[in-house]
Amino acid sequence: MDAERVSVDAMIQLIHVSKVYDRRAALSDVTLDIEKGEFVLLMGPSGAGKSTLLRMLIGAERPDQGQIFVQGKNVTKLRPSEVPYLRRRVGSVFQDFRLLPKKSVSENVALPLAVQGVSPADIRRKVTEALRAVGVEHKRDQLPHSLSAGEHQRVCIARAIVNGPTVLLADEPTGNLDPALTGEIIELFKLINARGTTVVVATHDPHVMGLVNRRVITLVGGVLAPDPQVPA
Amino acid sequence: MRLLAYVCREAWANVRTNRTTTAVAILTTAFTLACVGIFLLVYVNLRNATGWLQDDIKIMVYLDDQLPDEAAVQLEGKLRADRMVASARFISKAQALGEFRTQFPADSHLLEGLGENPLPASFVVTLAPTARSPESVKRWAERVRTIAGVAKVDYSQEWIDALAGTIRYLELAAIGVGVLLSAAAVTIIGNTIRLTLFARREEIDILRLIGATRAFIRVPYLLEGALLGACGSAVSLLVLKIGFEWFRQQIQTTGRFGDLGSYLTFFPPSVCVALVGIGMGLGIAGSFVSVRRFGEGRA
Ligand SMILES: Nc1ncnc2c1ncn2[C@@H]1O[C@H](COP(=O)(O)OP(=O)(O)OP(=O)(O)O)[C@@H](O)[C@H]1O
Ligand SMILES: [Mg+2]
Repeated sequence: MDAERVSVDAMIQLIHVSKVYDRRAALSDVTLDIEKGEFVLLMGPSGAGKSTLLRMLIGAERPDQGQIFVQGKNVTKLRPSEVPYLRRRVGSVFQDFRLLPKKSVSENVALPLAVQGVSPADIRRKVTEALRAVGVEHKRDQLPHSLSAGEHQRVCIARAIVNGPTVLLADEPTGNLDPALTGEIIELFKLINARGTTVVVATHDPHVMGLVNRRVITLVGGVLAPDPQVPA
Repeated sequence: MRLLAYVCREAWANVRTNRTTTAVAILTTAFTLACVGIFLLVYVNLRNATGWLQDDIKIMVYLDDQLPDEAAVQLEGKLRADRMVASARFISKAQALGEFRTQFPADSHLLEGLGENPLPASFVVTLAPTARSPESVKRWAERVRTIAGVAKVDYSQEWIDALAGTIRYLELAAIGVGVLLSAAAVTIIGNTIRLTLFARREEIDILRLIGATRAFIRVPYLLEGALLGACGSAVSLLVLKIGFEWFRQQIQTTGRFGDLGSYLTFFPPSVCVALVGIGMGLGIAGSFVSVRRFGEGRA
């Protein structure tokens, strides 16, 4: 497939993207398409550039070379004032993206809506929906420190989907969870994907690959590995 | 509107959680601004004083000793006709002697030995309000000095001029001190805001990731700065007012300076409001600097 063409169906498109940190390439000439409604696993060893790639998709990092399109919009050319609007359409679950410790579960999940000035009634409705979707509705009034690791991650996912984003990005969402919990969280992502959201999960955990059984994109040392693992 | 309410609540939460830092910031800002305020107060009062002195200025036009009465009457007519003159009061030689005796009773024997009354007749002239500036007083005096029959024209301009000169220096000093201490206030508030920003950096990062606009993230801190500046300014005014009243009381009880106490004025309400506004502006400037610096190099 010719990646230079801006595909109408592509939700995410990278064209010859490179990024160098301190003379070390974090990404070299990465070109790839992710279609609308896809569930993609971004695999690769530590330091392969997975996080860097995801961070670029939400405008937290800019490539040194190449173009990145999200929903047909060139995010490498976004003005700083436009970045927040991109992030309202792209939900993210990142490792260092914790819950606010002094706010309750429902307040945390409500935050993406609150910053947009959504009415309290709509916030209540959408927060309930999101919490129900991840199965922690009963914890809505608790503070984050009283949650288990799995519950904590579910609340983070609820916060990422409360806006009804078209894309959900997750960086090591199962990084500190045991295998059983990892399975549950992956099932949750599958469920969200089944409702039409494009999902990209970055992980170095091969165990996850067995659970997902979908398209895998592999990065090694910032270079895209050929795509052999698409299961039949 | 909803966003504004949210943002205000955040700012208030910041202030509440950092009560000690907030109090310290307000007090140090207040102290700094009070120093500026003292300068300003002295300046305002001295300026008022020169205004009064200038308004009060009396010009003594002394007549030639040998001048006949008719010529004096003529001169009076001439002075009264002058548009720059508000009033002219004639003091005859006898009246001058009488005044001298009542003012300096202990020294009246000095005149006795001289036999004839040595004091000249004079006019006490007050100029019209529009002609009271130092320059026009000077010009008028020079013109009158050349009139036949006028021996001497005297007025207390010199020391009024000296006072005005002092005030000009004071003005420069006030500007210098004001700029310096205002910069200090900006720094103090800026540092306080920086502490808050640092304490909440994780929350700020989270807000960024969920798509909060820069304005939404910044406004609570700018509001906090505004609040600190306004409170600091208000506290400094309060302290100044208390100090001012105490000072005035002190002056009046010692009574050494006559009724000077009743001439002293504090800032009028409009100026107080403006000063609180300036404090608010300084606070916003301080927090703006910190917020800008904090935001640099972050996505
Ligand atoms: N802000 C940064 N400054 C300097 N180097 C960085 C920065 N971010 C990433 N890197 C480097 O870029 C390379 C790719 O990092 P990245 O975090 O994308 O890898 P990763 O695949 O997510 O690894 P992990 O599985 O450990 O999370 C690494 O060598 C890392 O040290
Ligand atoms: Mg990573």
